[in-house]
Amino acid sequence: MSEAIISIDQVSFKYPGGDDWVLQDSSLSVNKGEFLAIIGGNGSGKSTLCKTINGLIPHYYTGDFNGSVHVDGIDMYSSAVAVLSQKVGYVYQDFENQLMRPTVLEDVAFAPLNFGDPDFQQHAEWALEILGLTHLKDKSIWQLSGGQKHLTAIAGVLALNPDILIIDEPVAQLDPHHAKEIYQKLKVLQQHHGKTIIVIEHHTEFIADFCTDVTLIDQGKVLWKHDVKTGLQKVDDLLERQIFPPQVTQAALKIDHSNKSELPITLKEAVTYYEGLSITNPTSVEHKSDQHERLHEIVHLENVSHYAKSLRNETVTILNDIHLSIKEKERIALVGTNGAGKSTLMKCLAGIIKPSKGKGRISEYNLKNSSLEKLSQDVAYVFQNPEEMFIEDSIYKDLSFFAHSRNMEMEPFFQQLITAFRMENFIHNDGRLLSGGQQRRSSLAIGLAIQPSLLMLDEPTASLDVKSRQEMIRTLNQIDEQVKSVLIATHDMQLVAEWATRVIVMDQGKILFDGTPHELFAQEFICQQAGLIPPQMVQLSNQLNIHPVALSISEFVERIERIDSYGVS
Amino acid sequence: MELVNRFKKTYNLEWVKLELLKTAFGKKDSYMGRKDPRLVMVWYFIVSLLPWFTFNQTILIGLLVYTIVTSLVSRVSPLIIGLLTIGVISEIIYIVALVYLFGGEWAAFSSLITFTMKITIMSIASIAAFASMDPEKLSDALLSFGVPAQFSFAVSYGYRMLPILLDEYQQIILSFRLRGKAPTNGGVLKWRTIYYYSKIVVKAFYPMMLNTAKKTRTTVEALEVKGFSYSLHDKEAKKQKLSHLKLSNQDYTFLVMSIGILLAIYFLGKYYPI
Amino acid sequence: MNQLSREEYSQSQKMMIFILAMSLFGLANLFTELLPEFVLGPVEISVSYLAFIPLSLVMLFHPLYAAVGASVGEIIFGDLLLGDFGGLGELEGFIEFTLAMYIAGLLVTNLRSKKQVGIAAIVGIGIDQMLSTIVDVGKVWVGIEEVEAVPGLPESILAIEGLSFVTEMIISGVIFGLIPTLYLIPRLYGKIEPLLGIKPREGRVKASMTEWMSVRFVILAIFLTFMGMVAEFMAEMDINFAVWEPEFLEQFGDGFIWLPISAAAIVFIVAVFTAIKWLGASSNQDKKGKSA
Repeated sequence: MSEAIISIDQVSFKYPGGDDWVLQDSSLSVNKGEFLAIIGGNGSGKSTLCKTINGLIPHYYTGDFNGSVHVDGIDMYSSAVAVLSQKVGYVYQDFENQLMRPTVLEDVAFAPLNFGDPDFQQHAEWALEILGLTHLKDKSIWQLSGGQKHLTAIAGVLALNPDILIIDEPVAQLDPHHAKEIYQKLKVLQQHHGKTIIVIEHHTEFIADFCTDVTLIDQGKVLWKHDVKTGLQKVDDLLERQIFPPQVTQAALKIDHSNKSELPITLKEAVTYYEGLSITNPTSVEHKSDQHERLHEIVHLENVSHYAKSLRNETVTILNDIHLSIKEKERIALVGTNGAGKSTLMKCLAGIIKPSKGKGRISEYNLKNSSLEKLSQDVAYVFQNPEEMFIEDSIYKDLSFFAHSRNMEMEPFFQQLITAFRMENFIHNDGRLLSGGQQRRSSLAIGLAIQPSLLMLDEPTASLDVKSRQEMIRTLNQIDEQVKSVLIATHDMQLVAEWATRVIVMDQGKILFDGTPHELFAQEFICQQAGLIPPQMVQLSNQLNIHPVALSISEFVERIERIDSYGVS
Repeated sequence: MELVNRFKKTYNLEWVKLELLKTAFGKKDSYMGRKDPRLVMVWYFIVSLLPWFTFNQTILIGLLVYTIVTSLVSRVSPLIIGLLTIGVISEIIYIVALVYLFGGEWAAFSSLITFTMKITIMSIASIAAFASMDPEKLSDALLSFGVPAQFSFAVSYGYRMLPILLDEYQQIILSFRLRGKAPTNGGVLKWRTIYYYSKIVVKAFYPMMLNTAKKTRTTVEALEVKGFSYSLHDKEAKKQKLSHLKLSNQDYTFLVMSIGILLAIYFLGKYYPI
Repeated sequence: MNQLSREEYSQSQKMMIFILAMSLFGLANLFTELLPEFVLGPVEISVSYLAFIPLSLVMLFHPLYAAVGASVGEIIFGDLLLGDFGGLGELEGFIEFTLAMYIAGLLVTNLRSKKQVGIAAIVGIGIDQMLSTIVDVGKVWVGIEEVEAVPGLPESILAIEGLSFVTEMIISGVIFGLIPTLYLIPRLYGKIEPLLGIKPREGRVKASMTEWMSVRFVILAIFLTFMGMVAEFMAEMDINFAVWEPEFLEQFGDGFIWLPISAAAIVFIVAVFTAIKWLGASSNQDKKGKSA
């Protein structure tokens, strides 16, 4: 009953000068109105495949191309990118660079205007309306939050009213809250406006919740395409390529090996699945060791407030009366929505910003009258974008920059870091030419090379694929020996659950909560107020009334007693 | 010391950024800003070229007054005009001093004044015309005069990228500062500090160049998808882009008034030359 | 049905180079606009531009697009966005700077040769400064009724322009031009090009004699005009050219303004013409290099 809107037939592609075929005899057919997720490991050819749909390959990226692609009956090879663009909208992973005009409305109207559409204004406003951006239309792009920017980028291609929308990793750069919002909007486009949506996605939990179909790509080949329910249950296929099924699916798999065919893939399914199972609550709750009290205090802030001038010369309170003490051996996660004051707090600790009010101390330095250069010997600050950490032309030079500028001899320590972070293979390369995971590890090492008391990381797992992300969490679990305390600002609740010993929740410049992850996730109203979406395991625990909540899959599995042979229907 | 303090102030990047954003994104609603940008450009060309065809000081004074009044009406900040005045006066003083030094005579002073007036009229005219004009409007005017579309795209792209580029540059400079070591002893005239920061400013462009190159690639690809290269060859697209440029009544009033004033100045000069 | 036609610089690559040069030099210009100026008598000591950025880019990429991009960036970021658009003055700067950078880019044939890079950097800045001196002097000439009627004026102008030429060459040319360019080129060469999907400029581009001649011709022409101007002014200090000068003025009258402008225009047209010729040849050349 539904017809194929895209048919890719035996497509192979090789970049000019490249040795390998990025795509190899790939065939894929997409029906009208589908919400398709494309999954596959890094470098499997996902983006390349998508770019054949709007003709960027081979018209823009020339190379060796074989096979045929038809979009809504149009032969891609014999049409221009400009023609195909009106059928296929493409939103990039680094969508920031896709926004080219100063204000929202202008950017959204840009494409229809370029095609000489006399009603470009109406079409732009229509796209804004659908995505709920109308109230932002006169704002400057740079004033928007990440989520709003992403929606604007989608509106920008939607304004041409294409039948197909391709979105490359919609949530990689967003916090879970905004990510969900994006997916909800995409769902509306699919269900109510008849659009065909294709996403390239690593997060299987979103796929389970929103997509209708899923296709797996590996080494330039389309392995299979199934409906989501079937696809996500092919756990072995996924795990082999380092793609992790939703947490609830993984947990179910660990509990019951025999009954694979009916694994739950969404939270809702999981609740029914686990209902009626007996739950063991741990007999003793972990007790805090009093040893904690005797540890040396690294950071001490009292009544710290910070104000800034906005463009309209209004004074905005960014930090509001912060009290904070950080001791040795702490793993702190700093969470909260964008604009909650997380980065300002970190900048204060790094000495980049002098707080307007209050006093503080970091190691032996007084916050008020110690220069940035002094504080930076004790506090390392690793930026969110690793490329801003690479100031030299090789990782090794970046690593030794601090020691070099102070004539310090730290060679043995560097070698230790290089081994610990598995950087041997690229230590003399330029940081910008590395993969995402390598970049993060390197920037972490650069921070540690200062031998700080406090290491601060800004979003160390953002925009990493699932495999690199797991690797990053593992690395973070190793660094306790090299640094006294670690503070991480993050949206990644899984990281919070699996790594942190203490969580600080910020909201509107204030500290809303300060305690352990268990305590935080048990209090749903705090999570709601601060816009946090707990990991699936935590949500499931809460729904099943498991207390204290399980933070990880293994913790959850321990609580559920083995299912007897009668199991689940 | 003054130099060093200014230098420090300049390198408080947060401050610089805010100032720049204020200037670039401030609302530009003023007398000249409301006019059709094409008309303003034509006005500018005429007013700034006229002085070069005459040596009549009455006409020059008239034009000078006219441009100053226009710039005041279009609410150019008095600071800009003040700075320009100081610049002009100091320039005159230097020239006079030098002429005197080389043995010139005071009698020849007037021809120098003439010259300075011409330069000044040109500067003030450009301030009056463009300081209060929205860059986007200006680029539309240029587009309608046949300047390649790449230029007008570049204007709005620059507008869009300015905050991003500044942020990134600031972060990179921070990286240098966080891991580097500023000289503790500045030396004579703080030259070591100046040298240290100058080196950072230059070196920061190495990562900046590579990072920007990476971004540029996506941007140009997205441009292709959004039909920019298509619009370069499409007359309809250009027409649509410029469809909002229309001469209104206030533009006609402005046109008639300008012609009247210029003629008046000319006749004044003809019958009452200084 | 594979193999679409490949050109070394596709339309989009030209656009990338343009945008890259524009963004970077634009940003740099924001800073130089804000840097304090140190005024010492009639001469101001200031960093007028961070020339190493366009210099590196014209050497690494296609010189024309990088040069135009840089000049556009200067106008947009340094002037337009700050509400400081200078109208005709911008046009003058645009032509001078684009031409100067373009020539600097053409001069380099081997990016590994420090000598070549250094010479090109200095020549590039030199051309820009000479052109702006020529135009400045031209303005005085046109703007003052009879230059030689003001005793001491030619000397003064020469002194002021000369001094500013020298300081510019030292600050913008050497400190912020030559030295950083020599630092950057080896680091960027072969690394930045692949990021744009462009093949690094390779080895020695074999330009034919005629193209070389025309580049040299432009440089020579600018240099000669510059020297001519200086000589002219030197001469006016002692000798009076009254014999022919009034005639000259009469002939051209007040429209004399068009002399420097049209001179600049001619130079520019020659440059563009050269560019087109060069482009045609170099793309052939690149194709050859590529298939190898």
